[in-house]
Amino acid sequence: MNILEVHDLKKYFATQKAVDGISMNIEQGSIFGLLGPNGAGKTTLLRMITGIFYQDSGEIIFNGKKFNPEKDVEHIGYMPEERGLYKKMNIGEQAVYLARLKGLSKTDANSKIKAWFEKLEMESWWNKKVEDLSKGMSQKLQFVTTVLHNPKLIILDEPFSGLDPVNANLIKDEIFNLAKNGATVIFSTHRMEQVEEICKHIVLVNKGQKILDGKLADIKNDFKENIYSMQADNIPDQVFSTLFEVVKQTPDKLFIKLNENVKPNEVLQHFINEKTSIHAFNEVLPSLNEIFIKLVDGTAASRQFQKK
Amino acid sequence: MNKILLILKREYSTRVKKKSFLLTTLLFPVLYMALIFGTTYLGSSKQKLNVAILDESGYFTDSLLQSTNIIDSSILFSSVADTSIQSNYRKSGYDGYIIIPELNWQTGRENIKFITNKTHGTGTERIIERKLNIIWSEMVNEKLGIDIEKKTVLTQSSISIKEENQENLKADSGVSTAIGYGSGFLIYFILLIYGSQVMMGVMEEKTNRIAEVVISSVKPFQLMLGKIVGISLVALTQFLIWVACIFLIYNVGKLMGSDSAMVGSVVKGMQNSFESVNLPLVLGCFAFYFMGGFFFYSSLYAAIGSAINEDVREAQSLSFPITLLIIFAIFMMTIAIQDPSGPVAVWGSIIPFTSPIVMMARLPFGVPGTVPVWQLVLSMALLIIGFLCTTWLAAKIYRTGILMYGKKPSWKEMLKWALRK
Repeated sequence: MNILEVHDLKKYFATQKAVDGISMNIEQGSIFGLLGPNGAGKTTLLRMITGIFYQDSGEIIFNGKKFNPEKDVEHIGYMPEERGLYKKMNIGEQAVYLARLKGLSKTDANSKIKAWFEKLEMESWWNKKVEDLSKGMSQKLQFVTTVLHNPKLIILDEPFSGLDPVNANLIKDEIFNLAKNGATVIFSTHRMEQVEEICKHIVLVNKGQKILDGKLADIKNDFKENIYSMQADNIPDQVFSTLFEVVKQTPDKLFIKLNENVKPNEVLQHFINEKTSIHAFNEVLPSLNEIFIKLVDGTAASRQFQKK
Repeated sequence: MNKILLILKREYSTRVKKKSFLLTTLLFPVLYMALIFGTTYLGSSKQKLNVAILDESGYFTDSLLQSTNIIDSSILFSSVADTSIQSNYRKSGYDGYIIIPELNWQTGRENIKFITNKTHGTGTERIIERKLNIIWSEMVNEKLGIDIEKKTVLTQSSISIKEENQENLKADSGVSTAIGYGSGFLIYFILLIYGSQVMMGVMEEKTNRIAEVVISSVKPFQLMLGKIVGISLVALTQFLIWVACIFLIYNVGKLMGSDSAMVGSVVKGMQNSFESVNLPLVLGCFAFYFMGGFFFYSSLYAAIGSAINEDVREAQSLSFPITLLIIFAIFMMTIAIQDPSGPVAVWGSIIPFTSPIVMMARLPFGVPGTVPVWQLVLSMALLIIGFLCTTWLAAKIYRTGILMYGKKPSWKEMLKWALRK
């Protein structure tokens, strides 16, 4: 079942088409990656899904019914890219306040916050103020306030920016846990490598339009170019064969692109015949980064990624 | 609705719990009193001036001059005969000198020079004039053959006027003026201080980026309204504490009033004002105009707070026109209080931009005498319509502005946001 369906959603601003006809379906319990460069329209899209903006046209179906911002926001947890908390407010009270805005009762909010604080070792924070916390700590707090009310749909915009690896892993584990317990997570980022670890299904947007949609594994298969890498001891300086072309060569590593209808075994056989001692031979799947560059080649957005 | 209440509660409790709230609540009346008494004190304790009089007319003898010094000692005259006083008056301990020339007693003389080395102002001129004229008129009376009896008739026989309002026999225009000024200024202070608090509060939410988190749970309008109502209740709390203090002082004073003359006179003055003014009406209207004016202006302040970024200077330049309107209202109030039934007072108290301040200044003069009922009703109705309009416009600006970062929008752009569907 789809927790969220978006049909031909459009939102135009005076100067640009921020979201220009995006459709997508998000399955319940999945971790969904929303990818795209800065300014692709991700945040605008998320703001429509969270009821902050109203779309110019198109339709949002939440949990099988037409999205009703006033009621449905209680089932959505949104962590915006730019984090925000009241700096001078007591952390415990602040968490209770934000939870109650999501419709939780006072006692309910209190017990849930206590449980989360215990889980993430934040019990001592209750009477502190946000201004006393480090950036990573307030990030953790922001995450807790986002997922506190057991939302069916959790939307995280760049959740790991500014987090050290230890805390990033902590949050990552919690994201997996939440998904295991039935929540759906939309994970929006422009850092492609993070998505490859976490998401099963992705949508890639650029300039307000969807340019890719599918399971991560399928997408990688679709975009693979029959490139294999081989590690061996005695690779000759010049390798020639009718079976493949050499893409790149380093002293102990060879990247080859197989010609059409050639099976990897034939290549292996070729090298075995040559008496090469092979250590490793495996297919090289394109990274999302590469796929993205290929799709939007030549545009300003792709240059932004080639630099990295 | 429930969510507005939550927001309101947070806005209220975080502000009231602050130490600065207690401090300003206690300090404001103290400072206010200090300001009033301080200026009166400074005004009364003028430096004494020594003035040398070089008399060539023969009318101003030393003994006559000395007798005027007893009547008014703020300026001391001394008679001198030596013309060298012109060059060395300062060394001789005088602040200035006057050379009185030969005079015709029937015409007198305009613009006799008071020579000094610094300006003392018209107040000093008037005192010197008055003192010299005591001697002068005495002399003139004598020349004209007017004896003391005739003189008493001349000076004391006159007609005086006192207004009596048929509709409100108890009205005392002195007390009404005082109460009018007091409540007008109080609303003025509250609008400025708490209006800018609303603006800063909105700015804080925007720059902290908490706004986006909150409005993923509630509508922007709810957030804005909760904030405005919450802060208005803070102001109301502060006001009620002050009113309670006044009543407490009044009642305590009444109990022990007879013992001390000063406390007694204060209590009596308060009693007078309570009796001569329709207190429940004035208090009730104060609450109404205070809330109405606050909603009217603070929603505009909220809109501006939402449009700007962290820069305080931007806040100042954008909020200046609104602050100017409030200052303009106080200016109109001072005119209205001189002439509470005049056109400035009537229009100023009906138009919602100025009505909270101007109407509050007029009301103590009496309803329905000075302020006809239709004016009061019209003014209240327009204020309600007015704040509904500003809140509606402000909500639209707010909704766009609160998520807009980067360049400061111009007034034109903000108007576009407000008028967009």
